[in-house]
Amino acid sequence: MVTIETILGHTGEHLVLLLTTLFVSICISLPLAFASLYSKRVGYVIMKFANLAQAVPSFAVVAIVVPLIGIGFYPALIAILLRALLPIIKNTYIGLSTVNASMLDYADGIGLNKWQILRYIRLPNAYPAIFAGIKFASILINSIAILTAYIGSGGLGELIFDGLVGFNNEKILAGAIPAILIALTLDVIFTAMEKKLVPDYRK
Amino acid sequence: MPSKRIFDRIDSIQLRGVTKKYEGRFAINDLTLDIEGGEMLILIGPSGSGKTTTLRMINRLIEPDSGTIHINGQDIIELEQVSLRRNIGYVIQNIGLFPHMTIAENIGLVAKLEGWDKEKISERVKYLLDFVSLPSEMFMNRYPHQLSGGQQQRVGLARALVMDPPLLLMDEPFGALDPILRKQLQEEFCIIREKLGKTIIFVTHDIEEAFKLADRIGIMDDAKLVQIGTAEELIFHPANDMVASIVDTGKKFKHLDTLRIRDLMTPLDNKYVHAASLAVDEAIDSMLAKDIELAVVSNGNEPVGIVRLPDLMRLGETSDTIGDHAVSVPSFASDELLEPSLKDLHEKGHSIAFVTDNGRISGFLFPNDVFRQLV
Ligand SMILES: Nc1ncnc2c1ncn2[C@@H]1O[C@H](COP(=O)(O)OP(=O)(O)OP(=O)(O)O)[C@@H](O)[C@H]1O
Ligand SMILES: [Mg+2]
Repeated sequence: MVTIETILGHTGEHLVLLLTTLFVSICISLPLAFASLYSKRVGYVIMKFANLAQAVPSFAVVAIVVPLIGIGFYPALIAILLRALLPIIKNTYIGLSTVNASMLDYADGIGLNKWQILRYIRLPNAYPAIFAGIKFASILINSIAILTAYIGSGGLGELIFDGLVGFNNEKILAGAIPAILIALTLDVIFTAMEKKLVPDYRK
Repeated sequence: MPSKRIFDRIDSIQLRGVTKKYEGRFAINDLTLDIEGGEMLILIGPSGSGKTTTLRMINRLIEPDSGTIHINGQDIIELEQVSLRRNIGYVIQNIGLFPHMTIAENIGLVAKLEGWDKEKISERVKYLLDFVSLPSEMFMNRYPHQLSGGQQQRVGLARALVMDPPLLLMDEPFGALDPILRKQLQEEFCIIREKLGKTIIFVTHDIEEAFKLADRIGIMDDAKLVQIGTAEELIFHPANDMVASIVDTGKKFKHLDTLRIRDLMTPLDNKYVHAASLAVDEAIDSMLAKDIELAVVSNGNEPVGIVRLPDLMRLGETSDTIGDHAVSVPSFASDELLEPSLKDLHEKGHSIAFVTDNGRISGFLFPNDVFRQLV
């Protein structure tokens, strides 16, 4: 018998992990993406690393942190971070760097400095891409945060794995259904936020 | 932080021995060019001849390898780059409007960066939109993609004017428009230009556009300025075959040899005629009242010459008559052939001539206007 309190408790743990990781990954990714814009070397290294992290299966990333830093909330956070950084960095970088060249040239021609070009031209043009990256990262985080229950992060994954081990369908569903609902909610929230923040200037 | 107003008006722009190379090839080769304050200079020439490079050196988007550029006697290399650019309006073909900003934001961006308050920006934006014949209440809040090409080009001009720069650089501003729209915008620009009174350097591929708009035309070829002069000078005295083929003398003026003066003269309106015995101050009053800048001075039926309003006003207090100040101008019979008369006028540097019928003045011949009609 799974009580409503148990479900809420695990959902709470899951959400804390998810939101903390999302917040930290945004805080790390955006500056890194900006840095890659102004230094080709930095950009190269960051992209190489981020692509590498992407190529390794999620479960392996989760496993590999254990011998390095142990188990618990923070190791889980780091494991998820390694996977969540890439979509945000990559999308932000692409959004910032694929601005029409003659538009940048014109901005230069009317006397905008580098910072103003970033603030008024590059960034607004990159908003849609940045949003897409964050949205994708949040959904990725949601799913990896299930796996990290294996290394002691708690959360909905704990319910699911317990249920799987004990052939307890009720427990499996008690973990899986909230996880699915969270994924759908994230999608709805980010879509709404994007609509609100990015003016509809495209055809 | 507001940029310094570097110049309120342009007196002169001087390029001296300006050279720029890319990968060992000249983009600009030893270019020397003088631009006068208030003139509209149009650069024309084959693709890759260095027109854009020349333009972009003036706002320092490109720095020359050698040579100097002075504006009002000041070496632009010593000026702060941002201030220089904020004092120069820049219009480019096609793209240029920022797609993520509304029309009002596009026009007002630089003013905002210069620290203007919201109200002042909005007022300026409205004024400029109306100036380029776009009703402001209709267009302020639209995004560029909601505008036609011609409307976008007008916004591009309005945006370049936001800081009221004394100098405008325009790189094929009408290049991407269809021919009819282009003609229409050229007409409008002709009128706007008069009101602006700015120094303009303008690049085009379209010789007709150059004839229509330019005070002087500079022909560029292979990184060099081949020839510079008025339309007339280029047509009658092309420096080489390339210039001749650009100004298209052979084709456009094939029919010129059959034209007579009466075909292209401007008929005389009686309001222009003033008696030689008229006092200067009376003539000034009369000309102001009739809204004319030029008067024909006549002695009975005999035309003596012309007087121009600014010249008369410059005389100050005087008891002279306009007969004392009449400037004689050449005179041609209306049935004479046009071409030799134009050549003659050009060689003597006259911009006006009388046309007579049986000794009586019946009209004017304005060679510059004739060119405009022909091309
Ligand atoms: N950044 C650059 N790098 C290398 N070569 C360049 C660069 N900019 C211009 N060039 C070269 O310099 C020459 C002059 O170019 P410019 O753009 O001034 O020509 P243009 O007269 O404006 O031509 P168009 O009519 O096609 O616009 C060309 O041969 C061009 O290829
Ligand atoms: Mg060009």
